[in-house]
Amino acid sequence: MSGARILAVSRRIARGFRRDERTLGLIFVVPIVVTALLGWVIRDQKDATVGVVVVNEAGQPGQRIVDALTSATTGAPDGIEVVSWTTSVDAARTALREGNGDIAIVLPASLLTDVAAGRRPSLTVITPGTEPAVDGAALGALQGVVATLAGELAAATGGASIIPVLTHETLYLSADADALDVLAPVFLAYFGYFFVFLLTGISFLRERVGGTLERLLSTPVSRAEIVLGYSLGFGFFATLQVIVLTLFVLGRLDVPAIGPLPAFTIGLAIQSAGSPLIAFLITILLSLGAVNLGIFLSTFARSELQIIQFIPLVIIPQGLLGGIFWPIDRLPDLLQFVAHAMPMAYAVDGLKAVMLRGADLADSAVRLDVLVLAGIAALFVILAGATIKREVA
Amino acid sequence: MTPPAPAVEATGLRKSFGPVLAVDGIDLVLAPGRIYGLLGPNGSGKTTFIRMLAGLARPTSGSARVLGVLVPDRSVLGRIGYMPQAEAIYPDLSVGENLEFFARLEGRTDRAAVDHVLDLVELGDRRHTPAMHLSGGMRRRLSLACTLVHEPSVLLLDEPTVGVDPALRAQFWAHFRRLAAAGTTILVASHVMDEADRCDELVFVRSGRILVRGTSSEVRAGAGTADLEAAFLHFAGLDAEGRPLGNDVP
Repeated sequence: MSGARILAVSRRIARGFRRDERTLGLIFVVPIVVTALLGWVIRDQKDATVGVVVVNEAGQPGQRIVDALTSATTGAPDGIEVVSWTTSVDAARTALREGNGDIAIVLPASLLTDVAAGRRPSLTVITPGTEPAVDGAALGALQGVVATLAGELAAATGGASIIPVLTHETLYLSADADALDVLAPVFLAYFGYFFVFLLTGISFLRERVGGTLERLLSTPVSRAEIVLGYSLGFGFFATLQVIVLTLFVLGRLDVPAIGPLPAFTIGLAIQSAGSPLIAFLITILLSLGAVNLGIFLSTFARSELQIIQFIPLVIIPQGLLGGIFWPIDRLPDLLQFVAHAMPMAYAVDGLKAVMLRGADLADSAVRLDVLVLAGIAALFVILAGATIKREVA
Repeated sequence: MTPPAPAVEATGLRKSFGPVLAVDGIDLVLAPGRIYGLLGPNGSGKTTFIRMLAGLARPTSGSARVLGVLVPDRSVLGRIGYMPQAEAIYPDLSVGENLEFFARLEGRTDRAAVDHVLDLVELGDRRHTPAMHLSGGMRRRLSLACTLVHEPSVLLLDEPTVGVDPALRAQFWAHFRRLAAAGTTILVASHVMDEADRCDELVFVRSGRILVRGTSSEVRAGAGTADLEAAFLHFAGLDAEGRPLGNDVP
């Protein structure tokens, strides 16, 4: 063991870094930028007022409670406000579906009799269920309303204040849905995007540094033919990848016990409320954009390491800002603007609409998502073509 | 009798990269059916000159015509064969797949074209071997085969025989000679002096300019030496041990 040789090896690494500003940036600047971005997203999220739709099934006594709740929350002093009331759960669900409220609370017909009898009343709370973070915030904000409600009940019945039991239902997902049911559709897009970008970026970089691109360009092939050929070739594998991922996310295969191997299950068995084909279309369009983004960015890299260095700049921000964990409309204004320039925002929006809410191409928002993704894919085809340097088209 | 139209014609050809003038006003006419050696020290502008002829770089000023077509122009690329310094082959494709790919880009879909160049570079028995498993010399042979597969009229070869053993190099040159006899114009950038001796004519460049042009014996005479390597050192501005004599271009 030679200390001098160990030092020589470590010094070689330090000297290499000294001339590689981009790697130095990756080590020192990018982690700070990404962490700061995360902090910005979490701390400066907009505090949207939670709109409550009250369903009164308890008749006139219930109406007094509705009035009291409306009065107590007017102007949203605690970030929550009763925005409407109805006597029908279906009407409340429609209101939530149309975006006219974030949460519905149902006052059952037995509300006052339960309280009068000293039983804890059971209230049903309905949230859309497609944004766990938003639902969680709404349920938290609802605690104040429930406390007010308990006080009103005590006043109405002359008894002690009893905090009701809350039963949570969701508008779109089944009652036993978990976070995976919500996140799986968007992870389908995110991971597909990530791997396709990485694969294409490195592959095209090899074309550039290995001299094959130079040879290609000395043949009659046009830049457009190269880019479209790449899109087709990698698009094929991206399609296979999306098919496999989609089957894994949506499917479920129960494998019985074989010999010493216990029974196990393959697949996540996520229920898609809408057409898997439309979800597939959205994911493919996103992947095609990733193919050409990889070609485009390979221009700015000299090695595979430098392609990987694009991940914190290109992939991670899309994960943070693309609407996967937090709705884009809760982000600070500047970040909302940035998010809307990212294909992930449209893919996530479209996939959530299709797979969680059952929307289809008749939905104008889904059509817009598909069109924007197709436009972004086309834009990156043009950008990728422009980065292939040859003096003839 | 009208002389044949030149295969390559460069007029005042210049190419600069920022402040660096890589090619500095080259005037050159290459006749069809001849082999030209492009000699010069590293960084003298040989590769940039060849890349301009291959349509890969646009002249900063001046012009170049290949087979009568002002380059860069995609319409003439199918009649040019360009072999870059790098191997420029796909390591994960087999020998045959590499050749079929480049043949297809050139519009050749017949298996005979691939078979012919495979025989020429003696890689017929390696047709199904992935290029990554070839030796360095074999990869160079494959690279040349990819350049020849579409039977171009003008061959631009940037140091084509680096890493190729002498026996195969002799075969390459025998084939180049056959191609030239059939009318192909060949421009070979090379540092190998015995190859330079095989050329019909030599063009010596330094600092982006042509210093001397002529047959091997004319170049030697111009340098006042019987040895081509000594002539190379002379025109490169180097002494017999390769040390710079001065910075001025003679």
